[in-house]
Amino acid sequence: MTAQPEASSPAPGDVSLGIGKLIVPSLIGGLVALTLGVYGRLHHPTGVVVNIAGFTSAGYVKSWLATVATVFAIVQVISALVMYGKIPRVTAPSWIGTLHRWSGRIAFLVAVPVAVNCLYGLGFQTYSTRVLIHSLLGCAFFGAFTIKMLILPKRGLPGWTLPLAGAVVFTVLIGIWFTSAFWFFSTFGLHR
Amino acid sequence: MKPNMPLVTLLSGAGLGVGVLVVSMLSPSSTSSASGYGATSPASATAAATPPPAPATAAPTASATAVATAPATAPGTVPIVTASAQKADVPPKADYVAQVNGGGAAVAISVHAGKAVAYICNGHAVAAWLRGTAAAGKLDLTGKNGARLDVSYRTEKATGYIMADGTKYTFSAPLVHRLSSGHRPPGLYEATGMVDGVSIKAGWVVLPGGGQVGSVEYDPSSAVAPTAQAPVLDLTTGTAQYDGITLVATLISGFTGSGF
Repeated sequence: MTAQPEASSPAPGDVSLGIGKLIVPSLIGGLVALTLGVYGRLHHPTGVVVNIAGFTSAGYVKSWLATVATVFAIVQVISALVMYGKIPRVTAPSWIGTLHRWSGRIAFLVAVPVAVNCLYGLGFQTYSTRVLIHSLLGCAFFGAFTIKMLILPKRGLPGWTLPLAGAVVFTVLIGIWFTSAFWFFSTFGLHR
Repeated sequence: MKPNMPLVTLLSGAGLGVGVLVVSMLSPSSTSSASGYGATSPASATAAATPPPAPATAAPTASATAVATAPATAPGTVPIVTASAQKADVPPKADYVAQVNGGGAAVAISVHAGKAVAYICNGHAVAAWLRGTAAAGKLDLTGKNGARLDVSYRTEKATGYIMADGTKYTFSAPLVHRLSSGHRPPGLYEATGMVDGVSIKAGWVVLPGGGQVGSVEYDPSSAVAPTAQAPVLDLTTGTAQYDGITLVATLISGFTGSGF
């Protein structure tokens, strides 16, 4: 946190240039979210879902995968706070970056099959507030995640961009979890 | 130059997504040959074998958490005195609804003058209609894809199991008591319609207390009908909005004979 702003704050014009670097990633991320939403709306939902042995139904598979992704997302926030020195009396260990990167990769890769299942089997639906919110957040998540990944290797960005992008991705994912897995478990029971 | 790892992450996610999509697209043909979600394949043989123990352990949690949508249901907690099988205990007309043990699905059974309809769905990928006859307190019903049941019914409740989609759902469903209020009573509801030239058939189990579980089948006459979550059935109008069309639901009631 301390090194980054010092390295990239010589002139005010540099900051606007840094923000300018967000335009293309944001457009691509927006396009990703839009594409998913349009596909989910236009594609006729098949209801076909691939179940996994040992689970009662595909709904449980999805709910558990979503929960796993959410748990790793919480690891993301904690490890990010440690990296930025925001947790008092905790010095970032050398492996914290590795933990952050791998927990993020796992969370993302676990979330992907769930999303494919939703979009292919159920589609973008609006018939209740929960479903509408879930559909919107589900598409937004992959857009936001795309933006975060695309701006990650860029240098010279304002110091707040990555924390903001990460916070948005995390918040959206929590919203997704509450409107799906939490609802599913509280409706149908907490088991496999 | 170092590889752009975030981009690698993104692309592997995209690749995984495409892979899962392809598997999903290929799965209807594989499931149709194996009836349901593959009752004959080794993979789902284990799937079918594992669930039965689960409800036993999960039942307490399920009935506790099910309160969120269906406060008055929780079949396990309804204090029904052990049915002392009396002779005149078999009703000629009756409706039963309940969540299955473990809470993974809901079931509705309607009995009317020797005929019966049973419906089970999980508000998601499972929906099965079974039709047939009812005599001497036993149901003899069958459905598509090997759906079958073993259910006894008495005045107070219907108990037993339904096999659907390779899963055995056990339940004890209390009799639905009619309420004289204006809104739709608990029970079994059915609606059909056409969306984009494809016929759809929706079924809802409306539980006492207002909770409901519904699934909608696409092209229900096909061998394995793709099934998804049904829209919410509006209990004041008896209709549901789905994909731009209005579904008008019919109550299938053994008590009144409607829908038979």
